[in-house]
Amino acid sequence: MKFPKFPILHVWWDELCELVKDEGILIFVILLPLAYPLLYAMIYNNETQRELPICVVDDCMTDRSREFIRRVDATPEVVVAAHCTNMEEAQKLMRRRDVFGILRIPREFDMRLWRGQQAVVGLYSDLTSMLYYKVEYLAVINVAQEMNRNIKVRERQENITAREEELARWPIRFEEVKLYNPAGGFAAFLIPAVLMLILQQALCLGVGMSMGRSRERFRGLVIPPTRHYKNTLAIVLGKGLVHFMLFMLMGIYMAVCVTRWFGLPQLGHFTELLGFLVPYLLACTYMAIFWSSFIFRREDCILLFVFMSIPLLFLTGVSWPGASIPPFWKVVGTIFPSTWGANAYVRIQGMGASLGDCHREILNLWILAGVYFLLSCFMYMFEIRKAVGRTVLE
Amino acid sequence: MLTALKDIWKIARRELRGFGRRPIFLVIMILAPLGFLWLFTSMMSAGLPTKLPAALVDEDDTHVTRQLTRILGTMEETNFVLQTKSFTEARQAMQRGEVYGIFRIPKGTTEAALTQRQPVISFYTNDTYYIAASLLMKDMRKMSEMAGLAMTRAVMRAKGYTDSQIMGTLQPIVVESHPLGNPHLNYSVVLSNLLVPGLLMLVIMLTTSYSLGIEWKRDRQKKLYQMGRGNVAVIVLGKLLPQTVLYTIIFWLIDFIFYGYLQFPCQCGIPRMMLWGLLAVLSSQGFGLLLFEAFPGQMRMAMSACSLLGVMQFSLAGFSFPVSAMDAPFQWLANIFPLHHYFLIYVNQCLNGYHISYAWMNVTALVLIFLLPQLFAFRLKDAFLYKEYKA
Repeated sequence: MKFPKFPILHVWWDELCELVKDEGILIFVILLPLAYPLLYAMIYNNETQRELPICVVDDCMTDRSREFIRRVDATPEVVVAAHCTNMEEAQKLMRRRDVFGILRIPREFDMRLWRGQQAVVGLYSDLTSMLYYKVEYLAVINVAQEMNRNIKVRERQENITAREEELARWPIRFEEVKLYNPAGGFAAFLIPAVLMLILQQALCLGVGMSMGRSRERFRGLVIPPTRHYKNTLAIVLGKGLVHFMLFMLMGIYMAVCVTRWFGLPQLGHFTELLGFLVPYLLACTYMAIFWSSFIFRREDCILLFVFMSIPLLFLTGVSWPGASIPPFWKVVGTIFPSTWGANAYVRIQGMGASLGDCHREILNLWILAGVYFLLSCFMYMFEIRKAVGRTVLE
Repeated sequence: MLTALKDIWKIARRELRGFGRRPIFLVIMILAPLGFLWLFTSMMSAGLPTKLPAALVDEDDTHVTRQLTRILGTMEETNFVLQTKSFTEARQAMQRGEVYGIFRIPKGTTEAALTQRQPVISFYTNDTYYIAASLLMKDMRKMSEMAGLAMTRAVMRAKGYTDSQIMGTLQPIVVESHPLGNPHLNYSVVLSNLLVPGLLMLVIMLTTSYSLGIEWKRDRQKKLYQMGRGNVAVIVLGKLLPQTVLYTIIFWLIDFIFYGYLQFPCQCGIPRMMLWGLLAVLSSQGFGLLLFEAFPGQMRMAMSACSLLGVMQFSLAGFSFPVSAMDAPFQWLANIFPLHHYFLIYVNQCLNGYHISYAWMNVTALVLIFLLPQLFAFRLKDAFLYKEYKA
């Protein structure tokens, strides 16, 4: 095939041909960004735990205790899967993982309520997942508060009019609003950050693979010893362009298709998303090119980059609140585009923020892109000199 | 028998010399797991995140609302970094990511409260930051509930009720919650306990297929085959035993730091956890070996499969989002991953201190994952004899 004349286009064309021919790279630059978002979205698609089985130990056996249990059973969060006669029996069910919580109503429950005293019900939660505790507590506390209001209004205070009753029930009304994630679910919270991380990691793996391959083929050099590979800028731009173009498509696929298919928050305007994706992917591309220069065997990059995904997810401050990350790790996080990228994306796409609202993140992404671009240039200058030196020796 | 042992020893020594020559190996095998240990334990050293930044929009600004906001300020999770009269300003701060929640007291709240016209206060949390939002929501909800109760209490005190009578009226039913095994709801206990061993297990899977595959890559598989006198079991044992020892030591070190130094709850004692650690190391090696046998001699494919599946096992283990809430195919898929079983054993033994018989299925699964590669050993043999590295 005939090569285009300009060095940039030549490098670009070379890299593109290499990429298409190499199934090892294709797995990471095509399959991974296409399939992984779908998998993750499917895993978390149910958003939250519903109908979690719990069991009940009702020592009281009165009308009121049964009402309490009925109301708990009716919540969307839990389902009363078993009635046990004593705690030992309930514990056995919990150990067998048939139920994930025990609700215990003591013998004196109803008696104390009639006396006008406080009655205590016990909730014992399995902590296999923090979410179990959260949904059980929410279900039981909601039922308790609702019944408390009824008891207060009907039995403890003498109210005359319906309005007075209503006021006694709710002296102050409150509204709780879950912004940007109405279901309060996992998918809408985790997937956007994961999407950005997938982009970065796939880029690192793809670039690392191709870099390692060059090193293997050209005896330790990252560039082929031909006359087209003499211009630093042409190499850096040409190589970067291939990956940048490809991942721009992937980025749009994630931000538009995946987001729409799984009903994730999509408040961002297309232009703003593009304005964010360009610096993010540039920063990721050149970071990948720079870090990959330390890879001498193509498989090494899998070893180096794969397990970084999980710590990087935590450094973004999306899953673990950024306000609680120690300063040292915050500084470590700043050198990775994913830290800024995930936050900016979550804000633009999830919260409808404008580019101006997250100018700090966008600015930092441009700075990172610039710094990694320069570092890549230095790296290639050094490599070209090495290549020239070697040809002279030979 | 003796010759087999000698061969294993010979191959193991060759492997150890290989480690010495490849610094990347030592970085990945030793520094990375210890780095993760440091990262996660120091990041979550607070246990439960506290004093999360929130905004307060007090449009009413009377002595009553100020008293309310002072009480709010004393809550554990909430830290009002922004006090303003404009909701727009607070919303913008939220979009910039400076606050996780907004507590809003609208104009006329005091007046409505004093004249018994049922005022409405509202709070907003940014649930794209899930943990922070859940914690703030808990605080704000409690506060709003208490604000209402405080008003009733004032009325009842004026009527001459005693405090116990008042409490019996305001809160007849009290829920006493007992999160079992981790009463302080320490997130570090939940997350570090799984993320650090999980990452170590991922590293084990990757290095298992890497260290086997590198023989094909350097075209030394035939030589290795001769060293092991054609016995695949001897070769695999010789290659992987040094890693088993190293990883087990690292796993035990993690156990000592978690349960000895950091005092994470451990109902079953450290020796028992060391046993499960050993089993986790072995089954992860089995998992890596199994994938290598699926793509015999093709290191890159085996490692790609390891990494794609290995990263997914964190989601499918079920410690953040429970497996029981996933769709059925994923519930089933979770069972092939060693981390999922290690996690359930950890919950059974360490967190809850139950008898191991309740987790026998998970123990069996780990043993099975460790033993399964035996069945496909013939594929390795084929690979040694006929397969070449494909660039």
